[in-house]
Amino acid sequence: MTALLELRENLKKIYSRNEAFILPVVKFLLSFLVLSTINGRLGYMTKLDNMAIVLIVSLMCSFLPTGFVTFFAMVFSLMHMYALSLETAAVGLVVFLLLYLLFLRFTSKEALVVVLTPILCMLKIPYVMPVAMGLIGTPASCVSVGCGVVVYYLIQTVINNAATINSMGAEEATAKLRLLIDGMLGNKEMLVTIAAFAITVIVVYLIRRMSMDHSWTIAMIAGVMIEVLMLLVGDLMYDTNLSIVSALLGAVVTVLACKIIEFFRFCLDYSRTEKVQFEDDEYYYYVKAVPKMTVAAPTNTVKKINTQRRRVGQNTRPAGQGSRTAGQTSRSAGRTAEGAARSVVTERTSARNGAPYGQQDGYRGREMSGGRSVTISGEHRNGQEDSDDYEELF
Amino acid sequence: MLNEEKVILMTQMASYEENEGKKNMAIGRYFRSDYIAVQVLKSILCATIAFAVCFALFIFYDFETFMQDIYKIDLIGFASNVLLYYGVTVVVYGAASYLICSIRYAKAKKSLKCYYNNLKKLNSIYNE
Repeated sequence: MTALLELRENLKKIYSRNEAFILPVVKFLLSFLVLSTINGRLGYMTKLDNMAIVLIVSLMCSFLPTGFVTFFAMVFSLMHMYALSLETAAVGLVVFLLLYLLFLRFTSKEALVVVLTPILCMLKIPYVMPVAMGLIGTPASCVSVGCGVVVYYLIQTVINNAATINSMGAEEATAKLRLLIDGMLGNKEMLVTIAAFAITVIVVYLIRRMSMDHSWTIAMIAGVMIEVLMLLVGDLMYDTNLSIVSALLGAVVTVLACKIIEFFRFCLDYSRTEKVQFEDDEYYYYVKAVPKMTVAAPTNTVKKINTQRRRVGQNTRPAGQGSRTAGQTSRSAGRTAEGAARSVVTERTSARNGAPYGQQDGYRGREMSGGRSVTISGEHRNGQEDSDDYEELF
Repeated sequence: MLNEEKVILMTQMASYEENEGKKNMAIGRYFRSDYIAVQVLKSILCATIAFAVCFALFIFYDFETFMQDIYKIDLIGFASNVLLYYGVTVVVYGAASYLICSIRYAKAKKSLKCYYNNLKKLNSIYNE
């Protein structure tokens, strides 16, 4: 567990240092995944089904705001639908317009959810999104998850009816339109899925906000169970042909994915819970404090052990220059009148420029030969050395 | 000499102004009634466009039958039905927008209150 916590702290450190590089790379990979999946599933416009175009658009998305991933995903979908038929593109445009005008105006921060939900549904892990949004979002996230489900079923309807639409002529425009609209409005599986996902988001949100121990774990298990239960009920009522094995597998994957989210977002140590009571002028407080599980990321400390011994009376201030790598060295060096002088040279992680330690009059540096060198200091006799140490630290 | 407390406060405030504060300040510039009125008007416009799009799709869904029966159907009754559905859509969507914008305005004002308190604190540090 400690190793995992250290790994988390190291990852956080790496991210905070390199955020400017990591974020564009993540956006590039996400948009590449989204556009490739759309091309793979729809792919009716062969000019667009081109790796070069996908790479260029993904590169653009990596530098533009996150909402552009959703925009380009929508454009790609519409262009593929247009290649299939004008009526398909019209229905697609109407659906996207309705979603934007009525719903996404208020949940514009979660536009990425509208793209990720259909992608996860296509990857056969649909249950992750509602549980994850219940854990990290608000109840309003059920709107964006619902919009994502609508987009998924729109694409599925187009794929399912593509062959029929292709076989119809241009004069059967109304028939094509009717086929697609019936496919969307009469889709009971879509309605059951939207209801199941919306209820899951709300239930997960309510449970994880409770002050009980392990609320997040209980919330994700409850969310997954509610989803599977509602989908089974919907399957019984509307005969939607749900596969129970895939539902259970999806549930397991969901819990694992949400556990990872919990580890990074909300890792608490319930064994060290403190309950206190106190009062001020206005209120009496009952407080339950649960400490977070944290551990300081280790800094690298290199100890060099010098096995060489010195003669009596020789300046034995170690140089340590040749073998100093990245580092701010902190030394405790001392000279004794007799015997060998030893100092421990410890190098830490931050680089230090400037004059090497110990370069002063009367100092005779010692070359570090190969192998390890220790110098363990006996006493600090020389006040100047102490001041050098002080200077060293700053 | 650097006043650490002042630097920390100013950094927090600058960070707020860059990120969350932009949106909250844009909201906070309006009076509550003005902000909600503008947002509800925008919502009514969007609801009107959405309704028009849905109505067009409904007409095109059964276009041939509609054109054949256009002289037989009670046009006034049909129009009053359409207007009723439009009214219900606009009222429901407007009410939902009113609620959402009220909550947003309250949250923005609360957040701005913290920001202005920090400004006062900073001002008092300068006047020390």
